[in-house]
Amino acid sequence: MSLKNILENFSDFRRDAEVGGHHDYEHRWAMSIDLNLCIGCNACSTACYAENNLGIVGKEKFEKGQAMHWLRVERYWDETDGEFPEQGASFVPMMCQQCGAATCEPVCPVAATYHTPDGLNAQVYNRCIGSRYCSNNCPFRVRYFNFWSYYEQSWPEPLNQQLNPDLSVRDKGVMEKCTFCVQRIRTAKDTAQREKRQLQDQDFVTACAQACPTNAITFGDTLDPNSKVSKAWRKHQVERGPYTHKKPKENAELRGYRVFEELNVDPSIMYLERVRETEV
Amino acid sequence: MEIKDKIIDENLGWQRINEDVIRSMDAPGKYYWITFAVCIAMVLCAVAAEIYQYRMGMGTVGLNNPHMWDMYIATFVFWIGMSHAGTLLSAILHIIHAQWRKPIYRFAEAMTTFSLMTAGFFPMIHLGRVWNLYWVLPYVSDRGIWPNFRSPLVWDAFAISTYLSASALFLVIGMIPDMAILRDHAKGWRRKAYGILALGWRGDDRQWRVFRKTYMLMACFLIPLAVSVHSIVSSDFAMSIMPGWHVTTFPPYFVAGALYSGCAAIMTLFIILRYFFRMEEYMTLNIMEKTCKLTFAIAMVWSYLNIIEFASTWYGHNTYDKELLINKANGPYAHIFWLMLFCGSVAPFALAFQKLRRHMPTMFAVSLILQLGMFVERWMIVAPTLSMAHNPHQWDVLYGSIIEWAIVFGSFGWFSLLFLVFVKLFPSVSMYEVKELTFHLKHEMEEEKEAAATSSKSKAGAVGKPGLEGA
Amino acid sequence: MSKHRLLAMFKGFDDSLPVLRDIKAGGCAGVSIDDVDYLSPIEHPDIDEILERKVNVQKFTFTGAVFGVTFGFFFLASAQASFLVQPQGGKAVVPFPTNFVLMYEMLIFFGIWTTVFSFLFLAGLLRKRGTLYSEKLTVDQCGIMLEVDEHKLKSVKEYFKKQKSIEIREEAVT
Repeated sequence: MSLKNILENFSDFRRDAEVGGHHDYEHRWAMSIDLNLCIGCNACSTACYAENNLGIVGKEKFEKGQAMHWLRVERYWDETDGEFPEQGASFVPMMCQQCGAATCEPVCPVAATYHTPDGLNAQVYNRCIGSRYCSNNCPFRVRYFNFWSYYEQSWPEPLNQQLNPDLSVRDKGVMEKCTFCVQRIRTAKDTAQREKRQLQDQDFVTACAQACPTNAITFGDTLDPNSKVSKAWRKHQVERGPYTHKKPKENAELRGYRVFEELNVDPSIMYLERVRETEV
Repeated sequence: MEIKDKIIDENLGWQRINEDVIRSMDAPGKYYWITFAVCIAMVLCAVAAEIYQYRMGMGTVGLNNPHMWDMYIATFVFWIGMSHAGTLLSAILHIIHAQWRKPIYRFAEAMTTFSLMTAGFFPMIHLGRVWNLYWVLPYVSDRGIWPNFRSPLVWDAFAISTYLSASALFLVIGMIPDMAILRDHAKGWRRKAYGILALGWRGDDRQWRVFRKTYMLMACFLIPLAVSVHSIVSSDFAMSIMPGWHVTTFPPYFVAGALYSGCAAIMTLFIILRYFFRMEEYMTLNIMEKTCKLTFAIAMVWSYLNIIEFASTWYGHNTYDKELLINKANGPYAHIFWLMLFCGSVAPFALAFQKLRRHMPTMFAVSLILQLGMFVERWMIVAPTLSMAHNPHQWDVLYGSIIEWAIVFGSFGWFSLLFLVFVKLFPSVSMYEVKELTFHLKHEMEEEKEAAATSSKSKAGAVGKPGLEGA
Repeated sequence: MSKHRLLAMFKGFDDSLPVLRDIKAGGCAGVSIDDVDYLSPIEHPDIDEILERKVNVQKFTFTGAVFGVTFGFFFLASAQASFLVQPQGGKAVVPFPTNFVLMYEMLIFFGIWTTVFSFLFLAGLLRKRGTLYSEKLTVDQCGIMLEVDEHKLKSVKEYFKKQKSIEIREEAVT
């Protein structure tokens, strides 16, 4: 039976990312993050903690680098290089980029992380055995491992009442990461189905996009040409797929880029470069 | 031919060979039991640490976000590497008919099997949820779930299980004639046990003929297998996209490093066995010298591959790789990096001098230095890449925790324990092959003498070629 | 007619090789070289010129290896094809590079195991050694074993004694 399956669908099984992959995408969730608007307030990160039951590790473990912030606001300090003066802090909200050709996926020995027809990197907590190879192969370093049983101390009574019932609380030994609030996607899809309509843009947004006070984060489906995020990607001429060197940088209006694009992992998050005057 | 060039004295009586080797398996003495107890204590340290880590989680190891792997993987690679010399050298030297392998290959193969049995623990210990380990195996499940065959870790599982079974079989099959000797010699329960292991061996021509063929075929399989195993281990790194890991030369680099550390380990065990079991007549200085020369050659191959890796990184001008290389030599791990280069590339030059090669205390020290170098080499592969990968926000330096070191420490105890049990239950020198060696040596020398006699008649001053000097 | 099994022991290979040569040349009346088993504590490759017997282990090895590689591919491909919810990472469902690596391992795995099993089978291991077996055979003596008819027994024993045999062991074959 499976032999027949192989023979009949062989060419289908041989399709890789360059020709669209085995799955036909239903959605391709993506983001656009405008660093011009980001003020580094960490509201997104806090919202993520609240939405996704992230373990609170405490100061000591945070300093050891064992924190669980799926969305972290990376802070950089632009030092002077002689020509230009010191420019102060800049921020990058960094979370899982939901890569189209994710390097974390093929290395998992037990297939605990895989690519969904929604274009997400799903992490199956129950299947994870904690080899941590996925995290090691992630150039963004946005996969977080449960080094301890964080749930034991994270939410002392009555804080456990605030846990989100839509997703699980993870125990030690499991890898986890940003899911683009997959529970919200699921709910929105179910609602749309119940109401017998197509999923609309802005039916829902991720917790970080919802919490951002300056609306720096835009979330949506890039397969829907009318979504806000599609328009933003088009406006800044950023395209999905393998990295190409066609970057018309003369146009100051085009600020879009994807982090580590040159590694050809096809990230789903477009960042918009921060523009500022050289003399601050 | 002078005595000095001979690998072994050809006049050793066969009766005596049996007795000498069986004597090494006599009831152990005081020092044996002390070492044994120390090894058990070391293993218990590791067991205690593992129980604590199992209950508390991987945080006890001190790992953090950039450093998802650490000493466990480095030690895993170290032990896998150590396992290579035994089987691979035994198989290669068997195929090229290098006679000097015969007195030393048995313990080297045992070393292979035991270091694989040690290495096998590390991927397990390092898992976050070790109780689900069996998910890596390709078994038919009612949920239709398979392991991910794309993952180098699954290749590891395949390669290591193949290698462990193959090298254990190679060891066991190669021991059958010796088991027959022990069966005929021993008494009581040992006689029965060896009888089972000898599988009814009586040494008739059919058995020897099939044995020879089988042994050769297995050797032919083992060479590509051993190369593939360490290439696959290197794939754990080389298949990733991390700077310093995604290196084309990693498979040969790992294989060379594996042979290197394995040869150094053979030297160490050689000297220990020679000294404690009074095996001076079997593990001769001439064999040691050949082992040393081989080690030196491999050390140079390893050094060359190191230089090639640095050079190609330097010329490649990939920002991440180049920065990492500079950081290795100049950053927080610099002292380990230079220690590695000293131990791995400078120290082996001691092997280039014949006086030193024939001085056992020096060789013992050198072999330990080489192994230290190879241990930190693995550490230098794993740690700096993780500490300084693509994303500068996640840069960090880490030196393991006490739990991690306890388990690494305990693994040495476990290996020594297995080896100690082995030398008392099995012959650490192959009796039948030493007999073959003396037999052929004797014949060759007789032929030479005849040839010399005839040639001196016809042409005075002609000297016979040195005979069985090995390949 | 009853048969007897003889085991003539010799001091080492050098004493017994001429005997084998002599038997082959017909030196021992009524004994063919094909009936002779040669027992020795070590391996003698040169004996094959006299005994001229074939080994077939490599055929089993070849079969095992070929089985390993084909089974490997179909096993992996069918597992992958029936498990579509699996990581992609931009890779195809049935990726050749990985499967080749695993097929290689499976070739060796099956090759080695069939070699070992055919060894046990073809070498006639896992059976009794027989009562004639002498423990000296694992020390330094060689033996020539053969079965003879009762009426030839005496002449063959005489022959071996003449050939400097140390000891002749015999038993009746039932």
